[in-house]
Amino acid sequence: MTTTEGRRSKRTEILEARPVNLDGFVEEWPEKGLVAMESDFDPTPSVRVEDGRIVELDGRARADFDFMDTFIADHALDVETAEEVNAIPSIEIARMLVDPRATRDEVIAVGRGLTPAKILDVVKLMNVVEIMMAMQKMRARRTPANQAHSTSAKDNPIQVAADAAEGALRGFAELETTLGVVRYAPLVAIALQVGGQVGRGGVLTQCALEEATELELGMRGITAYAETISVYGTESVFVDGDDTPWSKTFLAGAYASRGIKMRFTSGTGSEVQMGNAEGRSMLYLEIRCILMAKGAGVQGLQNGSISCIGVPGAVPGGIRAVAAENLIASWMDLECASGNDQSFSHSSMRRVSRALPQLLPGTDFVCSGYSGVPNADNMFAGSNFDVEDYDDWNTIQRDLQVDGGLRHVREPEILQVREKAARALQAVFAELDLPPITDAEVEAAVYAHGSGDYPDRDVLEDLKGAQAVMDRGVTGLDLVKALERTGFHEVAENLLTVLRQRVSGDLLQTSAILTDDFVPLSAINDANDYGGPGSGYRLEGERWEQLKKLRHVTSAENPETEVS
Amino acid sequence: MTTAPDLGPGDYPLSVNRQDLLRTPTGKPLSALTMDAVVAGEITAEDLRISAETLQLQAALAESVHRRQLAQNFRRAAELTAVPDAEVLAMYNALRPRASSREALISIAENLESKYHATVCGALVREAAEVYERRDLLAREED
Amino acid sequence: MTAPAAERSLTLEEVGQAQRGSRPDEVVIAVSPAFADPFTKTIVEVPHAEVIRQILAGIEEQGVHARMIKVWDTADLAAVAHIGARLSGSGISVGLLSRGTTMIHQRDLPRLSNLELFPQSPLLDAEVFRLIGSNAAQYAKGESPAPVPTRNDQMARPRWQAKAALLHLKEYECIVAGRRPVEVEPVISRLS
Repeated sequence: MTTTEGRRSKRTEILEARPVNLDGFVEEWPEKGLVAMESDFDPTPSVRVEDGRIVELDGRARADFDFMDTFIADHALDVETAEEVNAIPSIEIARMLVDPRATRDEVIAVGRGLTPAKILDVVKLMNVVEIMMAMQKMRARRTPANQAHSTSAKDNPIQVAADAAEGALRGFAELETTLGVVRYAPLVAIALQVGGQVGRGGVLTQCALEEATELELGMRGITAYAETISVYGTESVFVDGDDTPWSKTFLAGAYASRGIKMRFTSGTGSEVQMGNAEGRSMLYLEIRCILMAKGAGVQGLQNGSISCIGVPGAVPGGIRAVAAENLIASWMDLECASGNDQSFSHSSMRRVSRALPQLLPGTDFVCSGYSGVPNADNMFAGSNFDVEDYDDWNTIQRDLQVDGGLRHVREPEILQVREKAARALQAVFAELDLPPITDAEVEAAVYAHGSGDYPDRDVLEDLKGAQAVMDRGVTGLDLVKALERTGFHEVAENLLTVLRQRVSGDLLQTSAILTDDFVPLSAINDANDYGGPGSGYRLEGERWEQLKKLRHVTSAENPETEVS
Repeated sequence: MTTAPDLGPGDYPLSVNRQDLLRTPTGKPLSALTMDAVVAGEITAEDLRISAETLQLQAALAESVHRRQLAQNFRRAAELTAVPDAEVLAMYNALRPRASSREALISIAENLESKYHATVCGALVREAAEVYERRDLLAREED
Repeated sequence: MTAPAAERSLTLEEVGQAQRGSRPDEVVIAVSPAFADPFTKTIVEVPHAEVIRQILAGIEEQGVHARMIKVWDTADLAAVAHIGARLSGSGISVGLLSRGTTMIHQRDLPRLSNLELFPQSPLLDAEVFRLIGSNAAQYAKGESPAPVPTRNDQMARPRWQAKAALLHLKEYECIVAGRRPVEVEPVISRLS
């Protein structure tokens, strides 16, 4: 090592200053679970069935099962096929996953009986390209989609509404919000609901809060779905999070009983981050989460490390493990909202490479939280992508001919929906006797980028208004009436249509979203039929023409102008 | 109680293909939920909920595409439509670690089974009681 | 963030088993198993001596008494803080993990709740710790101070999350299961 007195290489200085060197990297510590997926401390696959019950799972006898083992053995695995499928050589199963000629149904049938360690054994044989190839076939819904965050550093409802409208216009199928100050939730959730119905019809909205409050907002029809219902891979960490597989299963049923779509959330790295991975690798524990979710009967899972992405991101092969966890969720026939939703790197190159395993094959939601506001306003502590990346994202779609769920939209259209959203919210607030939204705030919303571009609101008055919303029992139906009475017929109709879906329960099925025409689209009526080249979802036709458009494209007809 | 008809993937979405089978918990057809009706005050929040029967239909659809756990979730949900919001939340909280004694959990199961005929939910709660006892997750004396 | 004027060391001298306090004008500072030994600074290298010095100063400025305990059988911040709160005469505590994550807790709140939470340890500097001490003391006096303002840094996660996980694992190894909390006397001495 040269001394500190010596001359420094100019190149080294430049490289030291690169953004990637601000990211955190650590050495593996397999004994503690600080390892992505290749660990000698993960169990050897095994399963034994007696009298229709699993009595041994991955080297543990039933008498020694913790509650995760018990739940997985009794609810997730298909007892009838378990011994048979676990005996299939892992290499054969891995090849089935990759080979387009093995159908999704065939691969799922095998997967239904596999133990966590066996599943890990299979995916360890796959490199990231093979994982992506499998993902193409295994995602549940044929058509990929995308989800965005719409939040505000000041919990400003107008900002949330305007950005929700723009996000919906650009193509997001789901929108998510959360708060800095929890008591603001009712107003912000209303703003998301209203704004989300302006950009295009059929967008589903959620507000991430603690469990009971989130369920209550859903029950009232102020939100349409829930996602941040966390599950963990070890018993100890699950208990630290104050839940069990049984309480979470009950909660899942509670949501469905109110006609509200929901999914669980899990992700590699959460257990080691909370201090107790019980010596298992991150992916092994995530597989337990996936199977727990399967056993609970939820339709889907948000995973891909999520808020713990800095942990797999710091160890070798971590992003490969993240790609694998998305694949496994899809293989277990769950909807997968595949991460890319949390800040994870200072390097733009790394931010993109992390997302390619989901973007290129397509997942049910390529991002489970693209920031539809500038990252400084992102109250999920920052996303992997934000509004400033829109043009890059659209360009990458066009470069590679892949559908990442978004499209370029011209400014006049964007400004129009932003204004409409702000006006609609202004009208709703006035109708519901909430603190007024001024014309100056509406004007600001049209042209704003971040929360600093809006006039400050009287927060104390807003909080009183938010409390009033809860005390008075304001529901989604009240929002419909308010919009209708104030002349926002289209927005009112859109919202009523979304609420009406609760009655049918069509949005409860796997990977369900609504099209622009409010038709439920799910893994049932839009089943993924990928079977090799020339099959499955292809970016072509009208949709491809849409995605060819960017901000500046020179016209072929008249090269002195741009395509309008 | 009528049995669920034989549903297959072709029936989905029910809101488009089988409106004839859908009713709100208050007995209205989907077609009654119009903006005019809303404006006239004929629609309440109770009309915008899902009924137990509809959840059984969705369970049948899930079974038809081999999603048995999802179907079971819908059956639990069908049972829970009868339980008021506050009670659902209370039951959820009671199922959290060290929140309840064994007796309290069994009592919840019995309540679900006898008062609400929620046998699938009742079984889930009984199972929880058994596992929690084994894993030391019941309420302790000093809690 | 300025460097401390002088290097200081912190030793926590054990006084005996921690008892429930009777005086209503005290704040309990509850630290995690590895605090001050073997760890001596936070994730961004604020010395533990400085952390404690600032919290004590903040409490003292409000005319409130401070008492310190070390919790041995858990490294979970909420649990550490809540144990402190239950032992505190005022019911108010400041809980600390070695890497700097901090919480102000109150004995009647549920364990997973809190009065104020400072989850991003890399963003906590000496000044913030002083304000935390001051706020805790104000809560102890029955007042309702405005929450301590903290920065929100979207890049904290990419930079620090893995190191924080590693530090947490090390702290976890220092847990002594079943050992009851110990009252400690903080001895801060200059090294220079």
